[in-house]
Amino acid sequence: MKFLTTNFVKCAIKTCDSSIDAFPLQYTECELVQQEQDYNPEFIVHMLERIQWDALISVARDLGNDGLPANKPEGLDAIIEDDQAILKDLHTLLLETHIVNGKMTCKHCNHVYHIKNSIPNFLLPPHLA
Amino acid sequence: MLPTPKFSNLDFDKVYEPAEDTFLLLDCFEGQIQYLNTQFGPGSTPVITEIGTGSGVVTTFVCQHVFPYGIVLSTDINPHACLAFMDTVTENSIVNPTVDTLQMSLTSGIRPNAIDVLIFNPPYVPAEEVPQIPESLQDSKWLDLALSGGEDGMEVTWILLHQLDHILSKKVGIAYILFCARNKPEEVANYMRQQGWIVDVVIHRKAGWEVLSILRFKRNES
Repeated sequence: MKFLTTNFVKCAIKTCDSSIDAFPLQYTECELVQQEQDYNPEFIVHMLERIQWDALISVARDLGNDGLPANKPEGLDAIIEDDQAILKDLHTLLLETHIVNGKMTCKHCNHVYHIKNSIPNFLLPPHLA
Repeated sequence: MLPTPKFSNLDFDKVYEPAEDTFLLLDCFEGQIQYLNTQFGPGSTPVITEIGTGSGVVTTFVCQHVFPYGIVLSTDINPHACLAFMDTVTENSIVNPTVDTLQMSLTSGIRPNAIDVLIFNPPYVPAEEVPQIPESLQDSKWLDLALSGGEDGMEVTWILLHQLDHILSKKVGIAYILFCARNKPEEVANYMRQQGWIVDVVIHRKAGWEVLSILRFKRNES
C-alpha cells in the first residue's frame, strides 16, 4: 500500500463516520519499503488537489517524517527549481514509499486494522460489520 | 478494439474468472473514453475505485486505456482476489503512479465523497441469501461472494446504491454498475432518477442466457 493511499482510507465502522477522529488512521509498527517509480511532476501537481494536507502530515509523523511544510504547497511549477525539490520529495514520500506490513488504528473507536504483504484489510468481524 | 489485459496465472477456484460480464465492462469503458475525457480533462488524476475487482482485469484495462494518471484504489472482500489483482497489475506492467488494492466490503474503508469514478460488477445472481464472509483463508466459499446476490440478485447492489451519494465525489462523481435482466434494471433506474440521479444505459448485450446492461449514475446538478 502506497503512502498516498493513507490519505484515502478511514475506519470502516459506520458509527465512526461522523467522527473527525476516524480519518486519518494512526499508523504503528510499520515496515516501509522504497520502490522506484517514474517521476512525473505534472501528476504530483494534479494529485495535490486531491490531498487532505493535515492528514498527510499526521501519517508522515506516525512514520517518523517531520519534514513536511505546515501548509499545502500551492501553485507548484515543475519548471521552477525550488518547486522541483518539493515535488521530488512528495514523489518519494507519496508514490515510492510502500507500507508493506503494519497496523492502522482508528483514533475514535481504537479498532486495529492490519496491513499484510502491502494489502490493508478493512474487513470487520460480524458483530461490528 | 483495444486488447484485453493478460491474466495467465490466476486460480479460478478462488477468484472470479473473467467472463461475459467482465468483457462487457471492458467494451463499456472503451466506448466511454471520450465521455470520461470530457468530464475530467486529459492528464487529470481522478480517484477510481472498482468494487469487487476480482482478477483486476477491468481496473487494469481502465488504467491502460482510460486514466493513465488515475489514483486507483480497488477493493475486494476476497483476500485471494486482492492478491490476484496485484498479479494482474504486474503482469500487464501497469505504470500508473498509484494502483492499490484494499480488502474491504464495498467502499467501507474509503473516506466519504472521495471517489470520482466507481465501477461495480456486483454479485447479481438471484439467490436465497448473500453468503456469509468465510472465517478462514482456506475456506472454499470465498468465490460465492462474487456471485450470489440474494433477493433479485440485488441485495448487495441496493446497499451500495443507498450509499452512492455518500461515496461519490460531490462535483464529478460517476458510477458504472452492471445489471442482469433479473435485477430489473429499469425499475432501479427509475427509482434512482426519483432520488435525483441521471441514469443512462451505456451498453446492453445478450450474453448466453443472460441479458446484461451497464448503467451510468451521475448526480443531477440542475
